[in-house]
Amino acid sequence: MTFSPVLSPRPNPPGTKMATNATAAKAKALAILNNSRAVPSPSVASTPGDGGLDLAEQMNDEVRRRFVSGTRLGEGTYAIVYSGHYRHDPSKLVAIKKIKLNADFKDGIAMDAIREIKFLSELSHPNIIQLHAVFSTKDQNISLVLEHLPLGDLEMLWKNHSISYGGADIKSWANMLCQAVWFCHENYVLHRDIKGNNLLISADGTVKLADFGLARSFADPGRDMTCNVITRFYRPPELLLGCRHYGGCVDVWSTGCVIAELAIREFFLPSETDIQQLSVICDVFGIPTEETWPGVSKLRHYEASFGAAAPKHPHGINYWKQRFPLLGEDGIDLLRGMLRMDPMKRLSATQVLQHPYWTNAPRPTKKENLPKQGGGEKTMGEDLKRRGGEIETGRLDKVARKLDFGAMKK
Amino acid sequence: MSKSARAPGASSKRLAEDGGASPLSHSLHSLSLQHSSPSKPARSPAVADPSSDICPVCKSSRYLNPNMRFLVNPECYHKMCESCVDRIFSHGPAPCPIAGCKRTLRKAKFRRQTFEDLKVEREVDIRRRVARAMNKQESDFETLKDYNDYLETVEEITWNLILKIDVENTERRLRLWEETQKAERDPNAPRRLAEPDPSLPSDTSHVVLKKGATQRKALAASSGNTPDPFGTSDDADKDAGFVFHGLKKYVPPEPEKPFNPFGGWGIEPKYYVFQKDYDVDWLTRQKNDPGHLVGGYDMQDFYSRCLREAFGGLGIFIEDEIIARENQASGDAGVGTRSAATAAAGGKDVDMSDVF
Ligand SMILES: Nc1ncnc2c1ncn2[C@@H]1O[C@H](COP(=O)(O)OP(=O)(O)O)[C@@H](O)[C@H]1O
Ligand SMILES: [Zn+2]
Ligand SMILES: [Zn+2]
Repeated sequence: MTFSPVLSPRPNPPGTKMATNATAAKAKALAILNNSRAVPSPSVASTPGDGGLDLAEQMNDEVRRRFVSGTRLGEGTYAIVYSGHYRHDPSKLVAIKKIKLNADFKDGIAMDAIREIKFLSELSHPNIIQLHAVFSTKDQNISLVLEHLPLGDLEMLWKNHSISYGGADIKSWANMLCQAVWFCHENYVLHRDIKGNNLLISADGTVKLADFGLARSFADPGRDMTCNVITRFYRPPELLLGCRHYGGCVDVWSTGCVIAELAIREFFLPSETDIQQLSVICDVFGIPTEETWPGVSKLRHYEASFGAAAPKHPHGINYWKQRFPLLGEDGIDLLRGMLRMDPMKRLSATQVLQHPYWTNAPRPTKKENLPKQGGGEKTMGEDLKRRGGEIETGRLDKVARKLDFGAMKK
Repeated sequence: MSKSARAPGASSKRLAEDGGASPLSHSLHSLSLQHSSPSKPARSPAVADPSSDICPVCKSSRYLNPNMRFLVNPECYHKMCESCVDRIFSHGPAPCPIAGCKRTLRKAKFRRQTFEDLKVEREVDIRRRVARAMNKQESDFETLKDYNDYLETVEEITWNLILKIDVENTERRLRLWEETQKAERDPNAPRRLAEPDPSLPSDTSHVVLKKGATQRKALAASSGNTPDPFGTSDDADKDAGFVFHGLKKYVPPEPEKPFNPFGGWGIEPKYYVFQKDYDVDWLTRQKNDPGHLVGGYDMQDFYSRCLREAFGGLGIFIEDEIIARENQASGDAGVGTRSAATAAAGGKDVDMSDVF
């Protein structure tokens, strides 16, 4: 896989007129080089000649020197994440994701890193994690400089029972998530690993889709794609049944699962194995048949999964009303639209955002008023500052400030 | 301190002398001074004596009846026990049973005493009432001085009420002010007729009122530059109760725009018109392949992507974008983006809309 030199138009950021879309949109094909402001001129940078190696090394050094790496934030399957900041301005925080050296990729970089760099450098949206720069270190390790997102993720959020939230908060988080997914699909990128702990939260409460390690472009017709993607709890039935031609609808299913989790504060469709995952799904949605999902019986794993199974019927509306009271009737309608077994009947990311749920009451909570949780070093400092007896949620913080007698005017 | 000594400016002088002690402590100070004032011994509420646990009305004692509770009515602050209140006021408003006090009291207004000293109790009530009407903040004023002048006026009003000077007029102005403020914030709300608040002492003398007003006029005239916040207008229509120098005009918050689920983003092809279907031989097989249909593979996504990629980059001038981004980085976002946009609009020759 190589970097595509193709420039594609990007959707218009808010506030720009249609007529200017071509330019106002970001052309990030040169993203990594362009991010280095000290590069003499783009023409030099983009012409790898015989002396290109030296220039590349110089540029790499220049980029690397612009960041200072700090404490370890966490470790994932293929990378270790450190906190860091810009050398010239320590208040500008970043997260530095250092890709682990992998025995399988002795002579190159792990595919996950390639995908992450390729797609993040093309996508520029407030609800998608921003890639500031990429550099490599002497030991040939590649590092991604990412936006610093210190307030945990959506899964930590619903698991943290010291935080309470309501329907308007769920709508706000869900909308940011759905915008991110819509923007990926609008740019023909399948994320293929949407789940609560890949939805990180920035200091101001914005939800940002991260971890593009499994992403790919929409496939050409006739080209097979792997069906062994997406974390199991969030994997749609067509992938579990072995389908190799799919579209954005796989991400919409995962997104629906995340919204459901936010609403019930537990995993929506948890299971131990792939086989069990299908059965858990069918417990709620029924076993698909040729009538409910044309062509489903021809899918590779259909016979093995359902050949001898007793028919299961989908739950009716009362199940949804009882399980998802926080979503309201319109929210339930949207959720069921996102979780249709037949991907052809499932809502597209665009249709999801066109659903009346978003504009109906209650209005989604404003970012600054969303309940927040702490995380990382900053919270520890915050914890020390806090006096005994105070509970931390965004809202209570505000009230406390209002009661601050020191600030009262004589 | 006597009534006649109270005039605008007096409170500020005292504030300066005491070097910024809290307003409440000032009032305690002056109340204790006034305590011995012979000018109104009958008016002065019963002195709170910690050892006096005897109801002045029925004379029962807390010593014999530990559950006895004392109540006061903010109309006159005369203390009496709960059972007296029940007995005297259960059948409707009745005159206060304390000798010399002819106020009509209502049972609903009786409440427990928060402070031992009833003068403090009364002052806290007055301060609370004034603070309810006078709730401006520093950000509502043009300058810090304007804000301080406002605070001083508020203190002035409070003191007039506490010391029962010019009460009727001050009350009227306070109500006018509240009405105007409310009308400004919510122009559609019905304008309630200003009626006196029965919970407040309304003791007043017209002589004082007139005298006070003339005094103030004279003072304002002599000091010259400072406008009199108590106003001199008798024009009932325009009268807002008080006029404060440097008070910013209230700007109602802009009505919230309807929520945009797309966050304001949109994408519309500029150089071509998108069709639902394209009839080309090399795609017919996949188009009708059940293996593509069953998994939700969308041919339209493929068509639109092909077109987007074919036309992508037209009308995009990377150098302009770099300039725009650099400007943005240096905090000059608006200009940079606009100049880039202008440059793009100049590239008319690449507009090849509707070639299909
Ligand atoms: N941009 C970021 N800002 C702050 N912390 C981050 C960021 N990215 C990742 N982390 C932290 O590092 C950990 C590992 O990240 P990652 O490699 O993406 O994990 P995974 O393999 O589980 O997706 C995360 O659990 C998170 O705590
Ligand atoms: Zn009594
Ligand atoms: Zn009385």
